[in-house]
Amino acid sequence: MDMIVTLLMIFLLVTAFFMVFTKQTANAVIAFPIFGSILVVLFVIFQAPSVAMAEAVITAGLATGFFVITFNKTKDSRKE
Amino acid sequence: MVKKLYKLGLVVSLGMFLFVLFSDIHNLDRTSKNYLSEHYISEGVQETGAINLVTSVLYDYRAFDTLGEATVLLTAATILAFLVPVTKADMLGTTFTIIVYQATKYLIPFIAVLGVYVIMFGHLSPGGGFVGGVVMALIPILLSLTYGIDFSEYKLTPNTKKVVEDIGAIGFILLGLLAVLTGNNFLANGQAGFPLGNAGELISAGLIPYLNVMIGIKVGAGLAIIFNSLMKEQ
Amino acid sequence: MELPFVVVTILFCLGIYTIITQKNLIKIVLGFTIVESSLILIFVLVSYQPGGTAPILDKAYHLVVDPIPQALALTSIVIGGSVTAVMLALVIKIQKRYRTLNVDKLRKLKG
Repeated sequence: MDMIVTLLMIFLLVTAFFMVFTKQTANAVIAFPIFGSILVVLFVIFQAPSVAMAEAVITAGLATGFFVITFNKTKDSRKE
Repeated sequence: MVKKLYKLGLVVSLGMFLFVLFSDIHNLDRTSKNYLSEHYISEGVQETGAINLVTSVLYDYRAFDTLGEATVLLTAATILAFLVPVTKADMLGTTFTIIVYQATKYLIPFIAVLGVYVIMFGHLSPGGGFVGGVVMALIPILLSLTYGIDFSEYKLTPNTKKVVEDIGAIGFILLGLLAVLTGNNFLANGQAGFPLGNAGELISAGLIPYLNVMIGIKVGAGLAIIFNSLMKEQ
Repeated sequence: MELPFVVVTILFCLGIYTIITQKNLIKIVLGFTIVESSLILIFVLVSYQPGGTAPILDKAYHLVVDPIPQALALTSIVIGGSVTAVMLALVIKIQKRYRTLNVDKLRKLKG
C-alpha cells in the first residue's frame, strides 16, 4: 500500500515535469490525461470515489478534448 | 539569466512557505476534533436519507453552494456563446473509416444508459448529477467529432440545448422554492417534511434524486454548448 | 511531514513556475490546471484517515473519512473544467487576432 502510493507519487511528479519542460506542445497536451489518470488512482486509494469519478470524467476526459481542439485551431503558430 | 534566477528564487521561497503551512494543516487535522464532520457522519443518513454522504453534503446541507456552482457553469456557457461569432464551422479536417462511424452509432445507446444510471443512483453510489451530466454531454460531443458539427447541430440545435439548460436551472430553483411553500428554509429537504423513505432504496431521500436530475440535464446541456462553441471558433 | 504533502508542495510550485516563466499560452493554461490538481489532492489528503472507509454508509462502519473536503473538491473540479474552457477560448481568440502564441511577442505589440 505505502509502496504503491510512493510509486504513484513519483510517476505524478515525472509526468508533471515532463508536461512542463518538454519542447513540443503536442507532447505536453498528450501527457495531460496521463497526469489525470494517475490522480484518479490516487483518489481511489485515498478513499474518495466521488472525487475520482469527477476527475476521470471532467479533467482527464473533457478538458483534454478542450486542449486538443485548441491545439488544432492554433496550428499556424505552432513552431514558436 | 538574472531574471530567471529571480523567478526561481521567488518560487522556491513560496515553496518553503507552503511547506510550513501544509505541515501545520496536517498537524491540525490530527489533533483537533471535527464536530461538524462527526455530526454529518453519525446523523447524516437519518437526516437526509441518502447513504452517499458526499451527495448529502452537496444537495442537502450545502445545496446553496451547488446552486452557485451551477451558476458558474451557466456563466461560462453564456460567455462562450457570446465570444463565438455565428459562422460556419471549419472541421478538424479529417475523414474516418467506416469503422469509426459504425462504432459511434452503436456506442451512443450505451453511453446514454450509463449517464442515466449515474444520475439516478447519485444518492446511493459514487457519481451524481455533475458526473452523469458530463457523460450525457458526451453524446453530442461524439456526434460532432465524428459526423461533423453540421450533423450534430441538425440533430440537436443550439436553441434546444439552451432551452434544456434553462429548464435545469429553473427547475432547481423551483424545487428549492417548494420547501419555502411549506414554511421552511430555501432548499430544505428533511426538515420540510418530504418523505425520506428507506435509506438505500432508489426512491428515497426526499428531494435529492430530483435535484440530481435537474443538475444533470443542466450540466450536460451546458458542457455540450461549451464544446460546440470551442469547435465553431473560426 | 509525510511524502504526499511534499509532492503537493512541489506540484504547486511547479505550476506557479510554469505560469511565470513559460512563453507558450497553452503551456500557461496547463500550469493553471497543475495548480488546481495539487489543491484537489491536498483536499483529499486532509480528509483521509488511515483505515477509514469511503463515505458511503450502506452499513455501519466504525471509521469513516471526512466527507466535507471531498464535496468541496468535487465543486472545485467542475468549476476548474469550465474555467479551463473559457481560458482556452480566449487563447484561440488571441491567436486569431495576433497570429502568435508567444507571450513576449504579444507584449511587444501595441494595444
